[in-house]
Amino acid sequence: MNVSRSEPGLLLAAGIATIALLWSPAVSGQASKNRPVIAGCPSVSAKFHPCALEKAKTFSPPRMPDGTPNLQGIWDAPLAMGFQNIEDFPGDRSPGGFGPAVTVIVDPADGRVPYFPWARAQREENIKKYIDPYAQCLPTGVPRQMANFRTRQITQSGSMISIVNEAGGHIFRVVYMDGRPHLSPAFKLWMGDSLGHWDGNTLVIETTNFNGRWWYDSEGHFASDALKVTERLTLVDPDTLHYQATMEDPKVYTRPWTIVFPLERIKEKGYEQMEEACHEGDHDAAGFVLGGYQPYLGPRFPQ
Amino acid sequence: MKPIVCALALIALVPALSHGQSRVQRTADGKPDLSGIWQVMNTAAWDIQAHNAQKGVPAGPGVVDGNELPYTREALTKKKSNYENRATADPESKCYLPGVPRITYMPFPFQIVQTPAQVTFLYEYAHAVRNIFVNTPHIEGQLFWWMGDSRGRWEGDTLVVDVTDFNDETWFDRAGNLHSDALHVVERYTPLDADHITYEATIEDPKVFTRPWQMSMILNRHKEKNFRLLEYECFSF
Repeated sequence: MNVSRSEPGLLLAAGIATIALLWSPAVSGQASKNRPVIAGCPSVSAKFHPCALEKAKTFSPPRMPDGTPNLQGIWDAPLAMGFQNIEDFPGDRSPGGFGPAVTVIVDPADGRVPYFPWARAQREENIKKYIDPYAQCLPTGVPRQMANFRTRQITQSGSMISIVNEAGGHIFRVVYMDGRPHLSPAFKLWMGDSLGHWDGNTLVIETTNFNGRWWYDSEGHFASDALKVTERLTLVDPDTLHYQATMEDPKVYTRPWTIVFPLERIKEKGYEQMEEACHEGDHDAAGFVLGGYQPYLGPRFPQ
Repeated sequence: MKPIVCALALIALVPALSHGQSRVQRTADGKPDLSGIWQVMNTAAWDIQAHNAQKGVPAGPGVVDGNELPYTREALTKKKSNYENRATADPESKCYLPGVPRITYMPFPFQIVQTPAQVTFLYEYAHAVRNIFVNTPHIEGQLFWWMGDSRGRWEGDTLVVDVTDFNDETWFDRAGNLHSDALHVVERYTPLDADHITYEATIEDPKVFTRPWQMSMILNRHKEKNFRLLEYECFSF
């Protein structure tokens, strides 16, 4: 079992966390990172991306009574591994650490976040100095919500879509589909303000109003409060979603960049998300502080 | 005569709908549609019993039927000590999940997402979530969850939610009212009209109370244009 600073849920003192963990098929996600094929496509993001979108062209998704594609269900992100590192990752040498992983970034083609030079340096500093906010049970932000360990449940109801996670200690997002405008930029939220619409069979979600305090992964990749995330969710077959997110943040990146990974339906009948308290049983944050790490409060922009 | 009878009948109906009441919305399967964003308008978050005002605490009539809580002698002693130490002993002061029914009457809105098989409650407070599974049995064995294991069923127009498997670490309010891990809550959500739900909760806990007791209050729909949940990420401050 992998226990790293990226997964506070695994470190809960409460015994019930163990039960939730043992129940969850996503635990085996650690092993499934080596699955070479998902939905008939190569599982590496750069190859999955064009292959899955090609398959989606000929797939007719199930539909809700109002005719929109039915994306409802409980979804696992078996290859995203909770985002240990969104770039190429050589592996974590600490005991029980993560194995190597291939970047989920499909654009730019080098698979690296297009940081301004100061921002690349900030990212290096993040790893050395700061605690991953998620390891303190703070909300994941987006797109980490979609890559996080264990499952997320998508529910379509009237003019809104909810996305509710099991892990990370109670987090969720409500996506409004009713054409309302975004919140005033004065509002800064961990999970942002999500508005959605349909582009053919693809659910498009645009999220703004972030607070710039979370990381994408355990390895210090970050954004500012100017971030806009545009997600695209497309059914490839009845049980696989092509998940794509494009990040724009003119304060931190030289250009927009895009990640892709598959989401897989949990097909177990009667599967239920369980309670995962996080902060309530969190004792490892104190360990990080003792280890000299500091809470991360957001990027420090160059003067 | 008939047209006159009809006219009289109409006149009789008009007052019933003229006080701003509107009909309960229904889902495709005919159940009351509880979807929307709701919030109480009372002071139960501070004290579920009748209480005078204090600095920072508005006075309130309480939400407990009959007002008295049937504590055992030991539990009453504990309650008094909780009250004395409430500034630091209240689990809310540590930003823990507040439990049920307390989450319902905290001073934050919450959103109900309803499908036939599952009614999900999303709370602005700390992104707390309750999944209420409809017509399914409780999980076997004893769990110790902050928010309990919630199982719902429809009795006519009332959503009845049976909640068990609590831990003993949450309170009912900021006044130190307590329960044990033997807590059993039965909630009843009954729409009054399109914009109000009557909320009743029956509390049983033989380790703490000598008999079951009830609380009741009204949930009000947020009707402000484009209203949405924001965030109160308690432990991030």
